Amino acid sequence: MATIHLPTALRKYCGGAADLPVSATTVRAALEELERSHASLHRNICDETGAVRRHLNIFVNSDHMRDRQGLDTALAPGDVVTILAAVSGG
Amino acid sequence: MPDRVLLTIGTKKGLFVAQAPGSRGTFTLRGPFGRGVDVYASLIDTRAKKPRIYASSCNPFFGMKILRSNDLGKTFEETKSAPAFPKEDGRSLKNIWSLEPGSDEQDLWCGVEPASLFRSRDGGDSWEMVPGINNHEHARKWQPGAGGLCLHTILPDGERIHLGISTGGHYLSEDGGRTFAPSNKGIGVGFAPEPLPEWGQCVHKIARPKDAPGRLYLQNHGGFPDRPGIGVVRSDDHGRTWRSIAKGLPSDFGFPILVHPHDPDTVYVLPLEPMTRTCPGGSPAVWRSENGGGAWKKLARGFPQKETFFTVLRDSMDIDELKSPALYFGTTTGQLWMGHEGGEKWSCLFESLPPIHNVKVAVV
Repeated sequence: MATIHLPTALRKYCGGAADLPVSATTVRAALEELERSHASLHRNICDETGAVRRHLNIFVNSDHMRDRQGLDTALAPGDVVTILAAVSGG
Repeated sequence: MPDRVLLTIGTKKGLFVAQAPGSRGTFTLRGPFGRGVDVYASLIDTRAKKPRIYASSCNPFFGMKILRSNDLGKTFEETKSAPAFPKEDGRSLKNIWSLEPGSDEQDLWCGVEPASLFRSRDGGDSWEMVPGINNHEHARKWQPGAGGLCLHTILPDGERIHLGISTGGHYLSEDGGRTFAPSNKGIGVGFAPEPLPEWGQCVHKIARPKDAPGRLYLQNHGGFPDRPGIGVVRSDDHGRTWRSIAKGLPSDFGFPILVHPHDPDTVYVLPLEPMTRTCPGGSPAVWRSENGGGAWKKLARGFPQKETFFTVLRDSMDIDELKSPALYFGTTTGQLWMGHEGGEKWSCLFESLPPIHNVKVAVV
């Protein structure tokens, strides 16, 4: 099992949990698993079209997913998928 | 005397609520709610015995939310869902621009960006898309203005529903929202070769008096020297035809337009210099007509007389419904002004709020 690690702002959409276990073997499948298990949490991460929101970054362990295979990045047991808000604003 | 006057102030950094006794003596401020997130729309819904407040929370990181308060803006919670396009539609919500009451206590309309309309029948917990406008043959051809492609005005009037879209124009339904058609005869544009197109106008705001059937006032995108007077127009036939009422104003560019709650002939605009979109000559003023736009009077008592260059956006001005109503507007530089006695005398209630997108008032 891999783990999805959530930022504080999103924990209220999954009962306060910081980490959610997923059985998926890619980032894409992990997000689809979230859509089924925690629909309102998923809506915060992806828009209606299924695209990851523009100002969010997804890391697999220490690597940004864009530096690996994006949403097709493979997940192995013990991997941590970290979702973080980008540095932006004003 | 009424219990209290309530203001909702949507800002770049969240929603503030200001409250005063019915005398409007001193306003106290609470908030921000939805901290750090833009609020472009709010609604003080007084239809039920217990008023509700709604606000949009337009989060660039995590998407759009609707906030709801059942205790006059002391606490807010997210509704169970926000408007969203069906996955197969291909569009995604960029902003929530308008919240308006529908036909019963639980019925709400919501205008969004990209320009589309949604409806809730359960006080904002679930939303359905309104296909008559969202799937209109023009919908994918409308172009965004500087503020985005927004459906910013929703004016229900029985089976009629008036919509203001920037940049799309005025669209009218006469069958309760099932179908819509552009209705812009007499509303000009200054940014296209055809001066009076069927649709595609950059409508900034529309106001409808309650007691004058068929009357509408509209602030359009004016400020074009070659096409003077297109910025402020009026209709007397439910928006089928429009005529200019801009003569006498220092500029026909502006964003908000308001009607007096007890007199359909009294209308207010806040003219801005079109290039800078700030107060003409650095001297702020609201302008009032008491004969439906036939003549205009400058209302500037209490404002700085010079060196003042603020901007007031389309949803940042409102008027209360007391016997002698007061106007309220917020600026993009964070001042909240109140115009006593129908705008005869102005005072600044709050001087240093975040940039203001939206101001609503209700007597509750």
